[in-house]
Amino acid sequence: MFSLLQISGRCRKLEQITLGHGSGGRLTEQLIKNITELFPSGRKDPSVSDLEDCTFLSNDIAVTIDSFTVSPRIFPGGNIGKLAVCGSTNDLAVRGVRPEWLVMSVVIEEGMDMEEFNGYMESAAAVCRDLGVKLSAGDTKVVPRNSLDGLFITTCALGTADTPFYWGMNNIKPGDRIAVTRSIGAHGATIGAARYDLGSKTLSSDCAALWPAIKEITKDRSVRAMRDCTRGGLGTVLCEWAEGTDLGIEIEEKEIPISSEVISVCDVLGFDPLYLACEGCAAIVFDPEGEDRILSALARHKDCSEIKVIGEVVDEHKKMVGMKTDIGGMRVIDMPVAEMLPRIC
Amino acid sequence: MCLAVPHRIIEIIDSGRAFAATGNIKVEIRTDLIEDPSIGDPVLVHAGFAIEKLDMEDSKELENLWEEIREYADES
Amino acid sequence: MNHSSDSRSEKGSILVRAITRASSQNINLMEVCGTHTVSIFRHGLRTIIPENIKMISGPGCPVCVTDQGDIDAALELAEEDMVTMATYGDMLRVPGTSTSLADLKARGRDIRIITSASQCIEIAEKDPQKEIVFFSVGFETTAPATASMLLEAQKKGLENLSVISLHKRTPPVLETLASDPGIKIDGFILPGHVSVILGHDPYRSIPERYGIPSCITGFEPEDILSGIFSIVRQIEEGKPRLTSVYGRVVKKEGNIKAKELMAEVFEYCDARWRGIGEIKSSGLAIKEKYRKLDAQYKWNLKTKEVEPPAGCRCGDVLSGRITPPECPLFRTICTPSSPVGPCMVSSEGSCSAYYRFRGGAESWNR
Repeated sequence: MFSLLQISGRCRKLEQITLGHGSGGRLTEQLIKNITELFPSGRKDPSVSDLEDCTFLSNDIAVTIDSFTVSPRIFPGGNIGKLAVCGSTNDLAVRGVRPEWLVMSVVIEEGMDMEEFNGYMESAAAVCRDLGVKLSAGDTKVVPRNSLDGLFITTCALGTADTPFYWGMNNIKPGDRIAVTRSIGAHGATIGAARYDLGSKTLSSDCAALWPAIKEITKDRSVRAMRDCTRGGLGTVLCEWAEGTDLGIEIEEKEIPISSEVISVCDVLGFDPLYLACEGCAAIVFDPEGEDRILSALARHKDCSEIKVIGEVVDEHKKMVGMKTDIGGMRVIDMPVAEMLPRIC
Repeated sequence: MCLAVPHRIIEIIDSGRAFAATGNIKVEIRTDLIEDPSIGDPVLVHAGFAIEKLDMEDSKELENLWEEIREYADES
Repeated sequence: MNHSSDSRSEKGSILVRAITRASSQNINLMEVCGTHTVSIFRHGLRTIIPENIKMISGPGCPVCVTDQGDIDAALELAEEDMVTMATYGDMLRVPGTSTSLADLKARGRDIRIITSASQCIEIAEKDPQKEIVFFSVGFETTAPATASMLLEAQKKGLENLSVISLHKRTPPVLETLASDPGIKIDGFILPGHVSVILGHDPYRSIPERYGIPSCITGFEPEDILSGIFSIVRQIEEGKPRLTSVYGRVVKKEGNIKAKELMAEVFEYCDARWRGIGEIKSSGLAIKEKYRKLDAQYKWNLKTKEVEPPAGCRCGDVLSGRITPPECPLFRTICTPSSPVGPCMVSSEGSCSAYYRFRGGAESWNR
């Protein structure tokens, strides 16, 4: 797949898939669009926007799939096994779907330490036990040394709808409030710190299963939509909401919860925290009528104790996300293009 | 072209290297560009090198400017 | 007076009120540091400063001003099998005529992202069979680190390490802009961290010879707003001079040790700035004494003169003649995911900033 640029007779083709295509921003969007356009749609209702975290196959059963290739495989706060189950089950949870079944594929590089591999499987199994999720089918492959970096895990999670309501961006209305369930960017900052040799005793990934908290609000009709803020971070989710709903979003910088460690990592590497991956943080849009109920129900859970309202949906500035900055200015937030790289400029 | 972050030196490794901290983040930095790096020194770090020792107080010039700023903003 | 008790938004209101009341004319202020460009957008400063003050971004992004011919020569070298090319993350996606370091990396070339020049030494020592080449760009903030690394490499007698020095100097480009009758600049916001190294003296000619008020400014939004206030006051008083609102970091004499290291390793050379052309004495070349570490000589790099892609107006954007949206390629053919010129791909390029922040004030219906 490539895009062709013609500049007065000289052609420039993007012939290779680059790491940017996997980073959750505009290049990824392009890649996904190119793929999905080729296939007949399997979604129950193709008219519904396809930017939700899971898809309903019938009125009750929803499915999602994700692949995990994180490096380093072990990081403060978790490992690739824990991440693989939390990631997929969170994609169900944010649409009010109780995760029930897991189908998993592991592709292992020849030479991996058996104890190391078992450790990842134990971590994945522990999350399944906590959630009551059953491993229903799986596949294993071993590939020759150097064919891939250690281990790739793909998890397909399925579940049944626990909410009688529709949770999705087509629900979102002007006047709705937006909250994040915890401080942002912890996972991305932890991985960045590990990759670029920044030490920290307290920095840790936010990798966690969100279903235990979210199940408390599935019967609350104030919930409009929820998204798992993974690659591309909070900024990407907000942009996808604004563009998908044709509404505007306004948030306040001073309301966004962010730890001092994440801020320091961003300062040193030149990252923007709005685009750092999270793995246990959801953004939620709700009718202001339910604000107290929703916030107090979620805040009771340790992984959502920092929950904070950060802004609202508006009828102006269509398709745009604006952030009122600490100094009082207005910054427009766009989707990131490719993966964030450490910079010195 | 100048992403640089204040750090504090927390450990001297050798004549050209030290550990420094910003917030709870610890990094190894080069100290070849500054004189007499010592533990506790606040430094400005750019691309892994300390490029200056910081004077944590605002300068007199800025203080004087702020008097003018407040005058114009009707603060004083 | 201790102002630390004012919150950032309180300080912001005070500064904006002061700037608005102090300024009466339509003025153009140019910042010549990409980090300022990004900070101005990131804090939404254009949405709060009064409309009679226009902020223009100048050639302050060392990635953007690197000549395309120089980039092509480096990329050609990076394709060699035994070469490991080390680069700061900023350069990875910059397009040459037909490829980029990111493309080469995707095709299996050994391209390493580093966060400190000293990592080149570690890589060279760890991999003695490979030839490490450091693609080194940056202004005077970054050049001392390269100088220090070169001295260490010389001392260690490393034979498998060399540097492509494309470092550039800020005072000559400031003078070029100040003396250009085609650009109306009423004040310069000077780069705070370049000034940490250079100190005050290299900028004095700007107010003294060209009559343009200038202020050395830091990167926090309060710093930038105080710098704007200082320049506005100078314009209203008709007394152009050099001021600084970054005294907590910038000494008048600069960093003497860093300057000595640079002088030991580098000498001035003429350099081509993309979109501006050749500026005399504006580059830093490695001295003959350190020629073994100079990639230009070691690899006999030949820089061809390259015409920028037709329609690309990076040069006019860099010199502040037009804003990015005025370039016909902006957002049509030239986007961050398929950039034509460096202004779009560098994280600090004006075009990238305008694109990523959607033009800021202009699009938010200021």
